[in-house]
Amino acid sequence: MMSSWLDYTINGLIVGNVYALVAVGLALIFGVSRLINFAQGSIYLVGAYIGWVAVVQLHTPLPLTIIIVAAASALVGLIIERFGLRPLQNSVRIAPLLATIGISFVLDQLVMLTFSPNPRALPSQLPDVRFQVGGGTIGPLDLLIAGVGLTSALLLFVFLRYSKLGWAIRATAQDRDAAMQMGVDVNRVNQAVFGIAAALGGVSGLLVGMYYNQIDTAMSLQATLKGVVAEVVGGAGNVPGAVIGSLLLGLVESYGVAVFGTSYRNLFAFLLLVVVLVLRPNGLFASARQAPPEPLTGTFIAPSRPVRIPRWALLVAAAIFAILPFFPVSFYVLQTLINAWLLGMLALSLTLVAGTIGQVSLGHAALLAIGAYTSALLSLTFAIPVGLAIIGGGLMSAALGTALISPSFRLRGHYVSIATLAIGEIVSLVILNWESVTRGPIGISGIPPLSLFGYELVSPTSIYWFSFIVMVVLALLQARLLGSHLGRSFRAIRDDDIAARAYGLSLNRYKSLAFIFGGFAAGISGGIAAHLYSYINHETFNTQQSILALTVVILGGLGNVVGAIVGAVALVGLPEVFRIAAEYRILIYGIVLLLLVRFRPQGLLGTM
Amino acid sequence: MTTSAPEPLLTLSDVNTFYGQAQVHFDLSITVARGHIVCLLGGNASGKSTTMKIILGLVKPRSGDVTFDGASLIDLTTPQIVRRGIASVPEARRLFADMSVRENILMGAFVRNDRDAVAQDLDKMLTLFPKLGQRLSQRAGSLSGGEQQMVAMARALMSRPRMIVMDEPTMGLSPLYVDRVLELIRTINQEGVSVFMVEQNASLALEIAHEAYVLQTGKIVLSGPARALKDDPRVRDAYLGGSEAA
Repeated sequence: MMSSWLDYTINGLIVGNVYALVAVGLALIFGVSRLINFAQGSIYLVGAYIGWVAVVQLHTPLPLTIIIVAAASALVGLIIERFGLRPLQNSVRIAPLLATIGISFVLDQLVMLTFSPNPRALPSQLPDVRFQVGGGTIGPLDLLIAGVGLTSALLLFVFLRYSKLGWAIRATAQDRDAAMQMGVDVNRVNQAVFGIAAALGGVSGLLVGMYYNQIDTAMSLQATLKGVVAEVVGGAGNVPGAVIGSLLLGLVESYGVAVFGTSYRNLFAFLLLVVVLVLRPNGLFASARQAPPEPLTGTFIAPSRPVRIPRWALLVAAAIFAILPFFPVSFYVLQTLINAWLLGMLALSLTLVAGTIGQVSLGHAALLAIGAYTSALLSLTFAIPVGLAIIGGGLMSAALGTALISPSFRLRGHYVSIATLAIGEIVSLVILNWESVTRGPIGISGIPPLSLFGYELVSPTSIYWFSFIVMVVLALLQARLLGSHLGRSFRAIRDDDIAARAYGLSLNRYKSLAFIFGGFAAGISGGIAAHLYSYINHETFNTQQSILALTVVILGGLGNVVGAIVGAVALVGLPEVFRIAAEYRILIYGIVLLLLVRFRPQGLLGTM
Repeated sequence: MTTSAPEPLLTLSDVNTFYGQAQVHFDLSITVARGHIVCLLGGNASGKSTTMKIILGLVKPRSGDVTFDGASLIDLTTPQIVRRGIASVPEARRLFADMSVRENILMGAFVRNDRDAVAQDLDKMLTLFPKLGQRLSQRAGSLSGGEQQMVAMARALMSRPRMIVMDEPTMGLSPLYVDRVLELIRTINQEGVSVFMVEQNASLALEIAHEAYVLQTGKIVLSGPARALKDDPRVRDAYLGGSEAA
């Protein structure tokens, strides 16, 4: 047993090295532009596939492969900076963050469409021998990864410390305006940083592919998440901190796997993140004097005047949708609209949390999952009537969701997004691992169909009405809420939490109320979905859905109730209308997000 | 250069600036003559700091022109303007806190490529600001306010500027350092660098300035030779009334 500990340590350090290549890039970018680059994992993915093309198709030798991957990835980074982010320089602070999410969707989907989602083998070209070291073993690939990690760190250190551009990067990271007044061209600095970050990220993807001798398109999100964890643990924007955070993360994961098994790997990563965020939001190595790296007051969301829709128009629209099933519409149309209503409920929840009170959640699908599992288990295990079980799902989502997020109430801006993303992943990993309750990876099958007062709702028409009515009721409640004193308090907290606090508003209480209401709506949506699908597992409600919900909400206008529903109908409906194949949809969602951020950040109906 | 009316180095003509809907400057016109110290006085929210930003290109006016040495700066970026020969001492110093004092001073020479001459200039700064000699490898953020002001001035001089713009160079300093800073501004000016400074401390600024402008809610309400303004009752009432000076 003793010997394998050394193996786990070596493995942890090697994996940590790989994370470091991603995290250092994130730290450089955060330092210079206060942006968490959610596209970093996509560059890592692109790097891995470029490496695959080089190794398997062009048969390049290893050193040349590394150079090709670094150069091509750097080019991708430069393109992202120039065309994706530079145009957003003067827009609201949430815009670049959303843009990198959109870019990552687009890149991932392009890779998937080019290379198919099937995993591919990426041979390392190195001899398959292992050397005995103490009680463990180490192979040439381990040494290569360690060597690349150390060399990159050293080169980066020398570059930042002794080159003119390196000085410019450091100066810009500390005070952008002052750097400009010294004659630093900040655009060049951004360009350099994105190029370096992308080159490191791409090489990291190549090395990981070789390490596991397998690459697939799911690598991207995982890499972004791990890189973000490592970077935040080390202190956002802190380059040496990112390296140490990465090694720490690698070790924590490796030991966690040693003790509990492989399926726990990610759980440890995200728990580490949440603990650090809550206890030391500036990272393990930040000094006390450091100011929080987020703006104190809200310019986070594009202010705008919402489009006023007359009440009669809303009534007419609601009436048309209500009587739609009386017309000869196809089953297919009803099915699509049912999906839209379910997504609409999730969007109502997110638009309240992200738009009205300003907590941009990237893990909202977790609320669906909690609602779905609760409702499914209540009806299956305890034979509780489905209607009540769904309400139970809503209540559980409200309670559990709020409890899970509450430690992060003190966070702001980007950090809220990271924390919610992590909590979303944790929920899914707990579902995967808590087999005695959730049935683990097998999932729950045979969930009873929707029923109300003993009558089963099996016809599409009845399901349509049921979901439509539930959504409308939730929307009316939320509209009522927004018009009340409580709604105004929510918006005050979003716009300026310090001022709101100075007026005696308790931030924790109001954030809790928003998450309780939002959790309930999302839980109801998840509950209904569970009974519709009759089968759910830990991947039914995933990050893609969280991002889709966010796109819906931004499309409609953050905080805008009618906008959330319009956005849901548009994003679910339009791809159906144009018969767009499923694999292109996510690509289109990504492009929609990018175009919105660039040209209409306030959404179709305006933020409220 | 011994003409009675020195030629203008920097001019702002009919500048109108807006932040969104709010107008900050109303037909602002200012001239800085070559070799002069010009001081812009004004209270809070009068548009002083924005004037600095306009000169440096950090904010662009909606209308009007800014020329330096006869050429318009309107379409230039901040780095380009710096390369034309305008250095700045920003409000509250704005040093690069985690870089060393030496690195901070050398950042001032970012636009230069003559390494040897830069090294010589660094030595020159240490004679001008002898205190900084022992502090060179210290983190800039760890210095006192007065020392930071010295670093900021040395940093500005390192680009060998033809003009320095300073935003409230005496703000937050102890009386001892206030005198020292004013003396240094005079020294810098005597070496041929024009100075444009924004100040709230009117009586001190008028001590060293050649000309002064008084800005009130975005409009120039008074201007002229510093000596004349110092005795002007309107300035007296507005700025020198109390004994808050120094």
